[in-house]
Amino acid sequence: MTALTPGQTPALSVTGLRKNFGANDVLRGIDLAAHDGDVISIIGASGSGKSTLLRCIPMLEIPGSGTVSVGADSLSPKGGRLTRAEEARARRMRGHLGFVFQNFNLWPHRTVLQNVIEAPLFVQGRSRAEATDEAMALLEKVGLTDKRDAWPAHLSGGQQQRVAIARALAQHPRAILFDEPTSALDPELVGEVLKVIRALADEGRTMLIVTHEMGFAREVSSRVVFLHHGQIEEDGTPAEVFGAPKSDRARAFLSSHFDRNR
Amino acid sequence: MGDIGLLGFGPDGWGLVLFRAGLMTLAVSVAAFLCGLMLGTLVAWGRVAGNGPVRALAEGYTVVLRGVPDILVIYLFYFGGRQVVAAIGTALGFPGPFDISGFVAGMLAIGLISGAGQSEVLRGAYQAVPKGTIEAGRVVGMGRLTLFRRVIAPQAMTTALPGMGNQWQSVIKESALVSVTGLVETMRQVSVAAGTTQEHFLFYAAGAVIYLIITTLSDQLFRLAEKRSLRGHHGAGF
Repeated sequence: MTALTPGQTPALSVTGLRKNFGANDVLRGIDLAAHDGDVISIIGASGSGKSTLLRCIPMLEIPGSGTVSVGADSLSPKGGRLTRAEEARARRMRGHLGFVFQNFNLWPHRTVLQNVIEAPLFVQGRSRAEATDEAMALLEKVGLTDKRDAWPAHLSGGQQQRVAIARALAQHPRAILFDEPTSALDPELVGEVLKVIRALADEGRTMLIVTHEMGFAREVSSRVVFLHHGQIEEDGTPAEVFGAPKSDRARAFLSSHFDRNR
Repeated sequence: MGDIGLLGFGPDGWGLVLFRAGLMTLAVSVAAFLCGLMLGTLVAWGRVAGNGPVRALAEGYTVVLRGVPDILVIYLFYFGGRQVVAAIGTALGFPGPFDISGFVAGMLAIGLISGAGQSEVLRGAYQAVPKGTIEAGRVVGMGRLTLFRRVIAPQAMTTALPGMGNQWQSVIKESALVSVTGLVETMRQVSVAAGTTQEHFLFYAAGAVIYLIITTLSDQLFRLAEKRSLRGHHGAGF
């Protein structure tokens, strides 16, 4: 399902992506493209490679082989490392992405507002006034304007993750990557974060979401990808993947998941 | 017990010279600490980010400095340094005599000793920076320098401050060893005064008080700095 509409460049794509950690082949040839407005959920068992796949896109992990493209830029690193020139291009590509971590990874020595304006000020070189205005609008979107001067350590996990989402949005990203955004949260805090992500989907944002929240994936995605042992086993609309999975493994995974959640 | 008036600031008192000696202790300590800070930063960086030879060199330095008496390092710099300077000077055709000051030799020797300790503190502080916060910096497109300046250094500094405070206290105490070069700092001055007046107890006690004043005041400063840098770090979840 990576067929391109002729003449349209995807927001991001990976082709032939491989990655191994020692003898462990984590990704074994992944092809995936996201067009503007796509919301793609990536599901699969632990160790299936979904987080690694997501982390390879901004080169937090350097792929062993294959190509990653973001907008007009693309990288095909060789041998698990980046040259100086490739590193510069990787930084440009990161500038067009937003990334939301499982553990939030806010900067603990900066307040909520400072976390959001950090990259606009010190990476993109925008003015403080402009960055602050925009950050306040983003904090309003995630419902945290009253926490602008709070320290991350004083926030709940759900609040921290919403700040992290505002920080990602401040990048003006072409696409946002979510790496299990609710897995580190207490159950009662999951909802507030999913609500924010759902609102972003409704805005037509382009998103890749690695998640274990099957109900949410089914509801919010335009497309669902099932990963197994570093390969894409199933790729289709939520109705196709959840309703009538073609592979046995996808069927087994989904039934175990829905049983457990019931 | 001696006449406390000997410590006064009048014409017969040693007060003024002791005060000056205290300032010299402070000066040589600050110079040595900064020396050690530069060296320690370099060595910590070498041990964290250097290639094989750089790392070996940095580790060798800390191993050697840990295993050699401090007083020997000072002799090495003062007497050995004088010899080296003389040899170089003669080779270049300058007329003698050659000398190096006790201040410079002491500063370099104590700096070298302290650098080993400071590099340990700094390396530990760097390694304590949560990797996730570094990834968060990389993923918004920060380059190495911005990442260090905006994400790594501020967090590492918070962790390093108590350890650096200890290193500073050690430097002040080690600075007494520089008295062997004849530099008139607190230790040297009180022993001269004690010898001259034969009031040993009085003057060594006065020396102790001078060191205590310096260490206590600087301890307060470090505490203040720690408190400031800890803003935001304590609270739920941390």
